[in-house]
Order: sequence, then C-alpha cells, then structure tokens
Amino acid sequence: MAPSEGAPGLPRAEALPPTGHHPRPDAWGKVLGQTRYVGDLSLPGMLHAALVTSNRASARVRALELSAARSLPEVVAVLTAADVPGANSVGVIFPDQPLLAVDRVRMVGERLALVAARSREAAAAAVGAVRVELDPLPSVHDPVAALAPGAPLVHEGGNLIRTFQVVRGDVARHFRRATVVFEAEYRIGGQEHAYLEPQGCLAVPEGRQRVTVYASCQCPFYVQQAVARVLGLSLAAVRVIQTPTGGGFGGKEDYPSEPAACAALLAWHTGLPVRLVYSRETDMQLSSKRHAMVVRHRWGANGAGKLCFAEVETFMDAGAYVGLSTVVAERANVSAIGPYHVPAVRVRTHVVYTNNLFGGAFRGFGAPQVSVAGEATMDALARRLGLDPVEFRRRNVLDDRRRTTCTGTRLERPVLARQCLERAVELAATTPPVAAGRGEKVGTGVGLVLYGCNLHHGGQRLDRSSAVVILQPDGSVVVRVGLTEMGQGLLVAVQTVAAQALGVPPEAVEVCLPDTSTVADSGPTVASRGALAAGRAVLDAVRRLRRRLDPVAAELLHCPPRQVELLGGHARVRGEPERAVPIAQVAAEMAARRIEAIATGWYRSRPRRFDAASGQGGAYDFYAVACHLAQVVVDAELGLVRVARVVAVHDVGRVLHRPALEGQIHGGIVQGMGWATSERLAVREGRLENPSFTDYVIPTASDAPVVEIEAIEGAAGRGPWGSKGIGEPSLIPTPAAVRNAVCDALGIELFELPLVPPVIVAALGQRHPFAWLREQPADEGVGVR
Amino acid sequence: MAKKNERDTKRCHGGVTRRGFLASVGASTVGAVVASRAAAAPAQQRESLEGMVPCTLKINGRHHSLLVEPRWSLLYVLREELGLTGTKQGCERGECGACTVLVDGVARYACLTLALEVQGHAVTTVEGLVVDGQLSAVQQAFVAEDAFQCGYCTPGQVMAAEALLRANPAPSDEEIREGMSGNLCRCGAYDHIVKAVRRAAAARRAGGAR
Repeated sequence: MAPSEGAPGLPRAEALPPTGHHPRPDAWGKVLGQTRYVGDLSLPGMLHAALVTSNRASARVRALELSAARSLPEVVAVLTAADVPGANSVGVIFPDQPLLAVDRVRMVGERLALVAARSREAAAAAVGAVRVELDPLPSVHDPVAALAPGAPLVHEGGNLIRTFQVVRGDVARHFRRATVVFEAEYRIGGQEHAYLEPQGCLAVPEGRQRVTVYASCQCPFYVQQAVARVLGLSLAAVRVIQTPTGGGFGGKEDYPSEPAACAALLAWHTGLPVRLVYSRETDMQLSSKRHAMVVRHRWGANGAGKLCFAEVETFMDAGAYVGLSTVVAERANVSAIGPYHVPAVRVRTHVVYTNNLFGGAFRGFGAPQVSVAGEATMDALARRLGLDPVEFRRRNVLDDRRRTTCTGTRLERPVLARQCLERAVELAATTPPVAAGRGEKVGTGVGLVLYGCNLHHGGQRLDRSSAVVILQPDGSVVVRVGLTEMGQGLLVAVQTVAAQALGVPPEAVEVCLPDTSTVADSGPTVASRGALAAGRAVLDAVRRLRRRLDPVAAELLHCPPRQVELLGGHARVRGEPERAVPIAQVAAEMAARRIEAIATGWYRSRPRRFDAASGQGGAYDFYAVACHLAQVVVDAELGLVRVARVVAVHDVGRVLHRPALEGQIHGGIVQGMGWATSERLAVREGRLENPSFTDYVIPTASDAPVVEIEAIEGAAGRGPWGSKGIGEPSLIPTPAAVRNAVCDALGIELFELPLVPPVIVAALGQRHPFAWLREQPADEGVGVR
Repeated sequence: MAKKNERDTKRCHGGVTRRGFLASVGASTVGAVVASRAAAAPAQQRESLEGMVPCTLKINGRHHSLLVEPRWSLLYVLREELGLTGTKQGCERGECGACTVLVDGVARYACLTLALEVQGHAVTTVEGLVVDGQLSAVQQAFVAEDAFQCGYCTPGQVMAAEALLRANPAPSDEEIREGMSGNLCRCGAYDHIVKAVRRAAAARRAGGAR
C-alpha cells in the first residue's frame, strides 16, 4: 500500500509539484507515422484470419459446410467449436457466450467458424465459401418487450438477467408532499465507439505450450484470461503485449478478448503467427455498443422548488450476451439521481437479454444514459414550477452541508457541485451570445453530474495495480505499469508522476506499454482509473526504490538519509539546496556498488461496504462533479442541431498534465455531442444497417463546438497529488446539456436520443415551420422509430 | 476519391485541381478498365504474375518500380508492398481520412486512389515529411499543441494540414476547420488540431520551418 491515503505521494505539507505541460512521450512516433499499431506488424509466414458469422439474430444452426472453404488455395485452417481445446467460452463475467457457436445463434455477427489463410483476400474468399444453413427462430429486439410474458427466450432461464436497486427513504410519504409530479419515458439509443483503429491482434504460437498475443486493447489481463481459458493454458503461458492502441472508449475493454481468442486458436492449430484485423464494417457489426436504454421517471418537487422523491425504472438492452452489462448497470443504477438531495429514492435497473448487438463498456458506462434522463426531468420540473433550470438545480444540489448521495454516501468536503454550476453559468455569461441565422433558434442547457471515481463496489476486487521502476546507471528511468495508453494520456500522466517523485525531468522517464509478463495483473484500464491506479503504484515503487537510493545519496551528500530530497534532477539536502549531487551520479554510484536499482510498487483501494439489495453504502471510493453548459443553434426547418459552445467546469482534484486533461475534456464533449445529435445506430432485427462512417455520422472538425474549460483543483481525490479521473466525467454531462439546450431552443420536450433531424421534426409537430403543408399532424406521419 | 483543401474557386469534384483531376481521370480510366477484369478473376490467379502490370511510383522523392495488380489501391501498395505503414487504414472507403497522402501536393485518400493512377505524379506520405531528421512545421506544431490522442488518425491529419497550408498559407480558423473536416478524429482532438495548424501556418510564414 502507498503510504498515505489523503493526498497520496505527498511526503509532507510541501508545495505540490507543478502541473505538466511537456509533450507526451508518444508524440514523436505518432506525428512521424512510426508508431506501430497491430495492423502495421507482420511476421514471416504470418496468416490472416477472418470470421464466418451469423447473418440472423436468432436461429438454430442446421449445417455448416466447410469442405469447399478448406479446399481453396492459400487456406490453411477452417475451425469450428469442435476445435477449441479449452473452454468454448468468452464471457468476461458470465459464461453465457461461446467463442464459436455450437448449435444456436442469438445475434447477428455471432461467430460460427474461423478461417486462416495466407492472404486477407484468400481468407475472405474462404469465408464466402462456407455454406451456413440457419433455421430462423423467433427473436426479440426491445428490452421492455423482452420482459413481457411469452417473449421469445434468448437464453433458457428467462430474459431478465438481473435487477439492481437503490432504495432510500419513503417514496409514498414524500410523494404526498410533492406539488408537481413529472412522469416520462426516455428512449436513449446506443452508440458505436468508432475508434479509428479497428479491433486487431497478432498471435504468435510456440508449439501448443505457449502463445504471445499482441493486441490493441485496454485490458491485456482480460485478453490473457480469455486466451488461457480457450486454449486450456495457464495464465503464465499466455503473454499479452499491448500494442499502441488507436482509441478505445470502452470498446477495447472486454471485446478484444474475442478476436484475440480467435487468432490464438488459429495460431495454436496452425503453428504460425496469425493476425486478425477487422474491417470497419465487421468492426461496427460485431463489436459491443453503448447500451440502448428505456428510462422511466416519476419525480416530484414541492412548491419551494425542492425535490421530494424520485422513482426511476431503467430497462437496459444487454443484447444477446451479458458481457459487461451487469457492471454497466451498477453504475447506471447509482448514477440515476445525479448530484441532488432527494429525500426518497427508488431506482430499479433491469438488465435484459434481447437478440440485438450486445452492449458493453463505453465511456461513461451507463451513466450518460441515465444522466440525460435525470437532467431532462430536472428541466421539466423546473418548467412546471416556473423556475429557471439553474435556479431549480441551486435549490437541490448537494453541497458541504447537504452532502449525502442517493446511495447514502456522505461526500467528502469540499463538495463542489454548486461551485461547478455557478462557475459554468458565470463563464457562459461572459461570452458573447451565439449568433443565429434566419430560421434558426438558439438555446442553452445544463448538464450537472456526480461521477463515482474508479470502479464501483462490484468491481472492487479488480482495483489494484502494479508498477516497476528501474533506475538506469545514467539516471534515466524505465517505468512499467499494467494499465494501458489508448490516447487518453496514461503514458504522459505516469511519466509526469514518476518524474516528479524522482525529481528528474520528464524526458528522463520512459514508460512502457503493458506486457503481462513484466507486471502483475493490474485490472482493467477503465472507469477513469488509469492515472490514479498506475500513478499510485509508481509512487509506491519510487518509495521502495528510495530505501536503497537515499542512503547512497546521503553518503555522497554527507547527510542523514532522512534529509535527502529529490528535486530538479538532483539529490539534495533538505533545506540546503546548494548541497546537491546529480541523480545521475547517485545512479552511477548505485550501479558501481551493485545495489538493486529496480523496485516494484502496488496499489489497491480501501475496502468498502455496499448493500446491493438497497443500493446503499460505499458505491465508489470518492467522487467528482462536472457541469457542462451547452449553447446550441437549431435549424427548426431541417431539425439540424449545431452545438456552438460548451462551457465545461470540472472538479479534478489536481491537474497532472494540463494539455492531456484538456484534450480529454474536448474529446469527451465532442463524443458526447455526437451521440446526442447525429450518431444513430440503425438496428433492424438485430442487424446494424449503417456500419460505415457515411451512414453513422461522427463529428468532424467543423462540427466541434468552441469549448471553454475550467478545472477546479482543491477537492482532493485519491489519485497522485490528489488528482481525480477525467476520462468519463468529460463526456457524461454533454449529452444532457445538449438535449436540454435543444429543448430550450425549440420550446418543446424531447424524450429520445440521438436528436437526429427526423426526431426533432416529428417532435415539433404542428410547430414545425412547414407543418401547414401537411394534412395530417406531423407527429402521426413522421418518425424514425 | 480525392479530397478537399483546395480553396473555393479551384475546387471541383471533391477538391482536386483541374489539372490534377484531368491527369488522374486519364490514369484512372485505364486503371478502371483493367481493374474490373482483374476483380472478376478467380482468387487462384492472385499469386501468379498474370494480370500484374509494371508500375513506377514516385514516393517521397524515390522511384519504386514494381508489379501491381491494376485494382490495387495506393494504400495497399504503400502498406503491403512498400512497407510504408505510416499511412493508416481506418475504413477503406474514403470516409475517415486516416490514409491521407499528398499527390502533387494535394491531399488524397490513398484507399480510394488506384496505385496506377498516380504513376507520373509525386506521392508524399507521412514518412516523406521529415528532411534531414527535422520534423516539418506541421509535425512540430502537432507535438507542441498536443494535437493528437491515440495517434491513429494523426498521420492523415498531418498530411491534410500539410496540403491545406500549401494551398492556403494563411487560413482562418474557419478555413482550418473546413479544411481538416475530411479527417475524422474520434478522440475529438479537433481543438488542439486547429491550434496546431494555426501554429504551423505561422511558423511556415515566418520562414523558419518548412
């Protein structure tokens, strides 16, 4: 364990080390095109893999005719479930998902067979030559319908996977006190991760005893477990090396285990290196998605503008396999109320099987969907009370006095929710109003969220992290961690922390991407925990290294080891900065005396208690607040939304590296805005009908709003120097703010996301500028659902 | 096919210059005819020399003579035949811009360009921007402004910025956003990318950097 809990790594009440501004260590490789992603790697004799998949959402497998494919030239292997030496199972939590289907498929894209060939084209030809005969079975494609009696069963045992709850206070009693009650059903769509680098991996076998997998992934230890399980190997026999990863956003949390297991199985059988890189269409069709949800609300407030009670019932479309859905549901469940004081709360979150594409991790992890609903209802109640939405939030927001969340957690002081809200309003007021063209309407909306940092109680066992720090004889430093860089800035964060802890310039520190053979299982790189968990482990390693370094430095400095401090590239005598030796000299001395210059470090969070039945207890280790204020311009004729400006105020604890932090906030806003306005998954009978960037529209440079960021420091988290995570809180408030701004602009209420033009035009109904052209009311004829 | 970065009046059909457009039409017509025949050929012939045609490509100032199938994209040839993997593959259908290269100084999606089309034209990839170990002004600016996150789209972004600044040495922010809008960045690093292009434009105008 690291030495202190409050502000880890801080030796005494000294001034905090400065925030980093230096270029990221991976900058040069990336701008030069020298960074080698997995699709850029090849080995002599390497085979290319491809997947034979189901084109039906629910069917019995009648026949799988492989001989034609096997007889094609250049085809080396065509494998089915019968060829799996270990467990034919890739579910990360529940063993409900086969690597290769046996007799039944439950979703489009379910794997039936694997192909390895000497070229990508030959592999594709072999896929085309496999004859698949499927007998269609009834299917279900809506999570509410899936719970109705008589609905087709996706798995034996029923479609309801689990229900999570938050039960707090007496809803019936507080219901009677409410003067305004608002009920609504929100239908929130899914989202495609659309990382620019598709899923990919390269498996290199050594006999049938051992395999090395190079993978584009967030969680090499998940990949290691899946491959070991499928091949029946020990964990030690499966080495996973993360390759530079071109975006993850949750899409490379659990999913990469599946292609990795496929490639490893092919490699195991053929004895040759096998690379599997998805095409964009395959990637979009097969990989996990942000969960679509139906969120039902009944919330009430009294005449004083205070919330009385909140009831939430959420139906989460898990798709055909659980994957991480139950874990996503845990966050959705406890995030449903937001940073507000509500005396009585009842939340139920149902995780439901359907025959749709399967839901998985996606930046925000269930919180964005319920936050859109929560913030929409806040606006609706404000409107019915005749209050400004900001004023209504002021009256209900958690603060230093009223700081108990819906899960019964008393937040640590200072609680910055009110400050974030007020600061966002102030900043927005100082900027010139957004200009609207002819026929355009301008609106402003707020999204205010409480983010539980790091993993939920349910994932607590995974909250550990390993690090290795090696001091080289020239004073440079190699750092190994078990958490991954996928663009979010893990490398630069760890580099900054290690450099500050050792008092060396950041350029002196090299941070390596994870390799499961060099560090212990560090859990997943998710939940905005990378810098926190890796940074804390590095601080622990530095502390242990200093047990050997400080005495050597002390001898050189002629002072007691306790007085040694590391600063500015030197070991110095505390309080006497002129008595200093370069750290390089200390390192050389350690090398000369053959003193061990390598140390390991470990991090784990404090154990917490949480009662799953009532949803009460320590859901998270600590919390952060974020407020986004969006200004939008809506073309009411076309139903087109342009997000012009977003003010983002974040409670970050401490900024470790300013450009990376701001980059995360910009990116979260752009991705959240895309989901809210244009990113519609057109799923018909379980098949994605728009698996391309032409038809699934993600924001470009022209669409990105002007963003103003304020990072409030001071409310210490448990990351290095008191930092909190930023990856997820940067996205979660945006869709809510954008949705509320569009409603403000048009003077209507919207209950769907994304707000693509047909949704807006339909919702405008008779208020659409051209409604007079229609004979029928617009909302009967136009719609996208 | 080709893409943006030519300013208003010069823009035609997606943004190639008229001269470049005519030249590439000439090449691609030939390519297309042969391509359709090659595409119909059975997979067995892939490894034989039948259907392969000799081709000389000028890439980053060096001439490469090789045999190509007429249907091969420039992206395929760069990555698989020449080992120039700096040019990334994100969609293979002209949607994401990760494969942006310069053809006679104009940005093109390599995935929608046939290798045969660019015979007789100068192709520049991200590997060709560095001279004497010195990063180009655009590359330096991308480092300085933290104008990337995962880095996968970055070579394409760098090439698009390079093309934009060659066509328009002093773009407004609006022109930068417009000029860079053919290149998706899912990390959403657009704000820093715009700043980087602005910084690179200033550096190029100051004459210190390329």
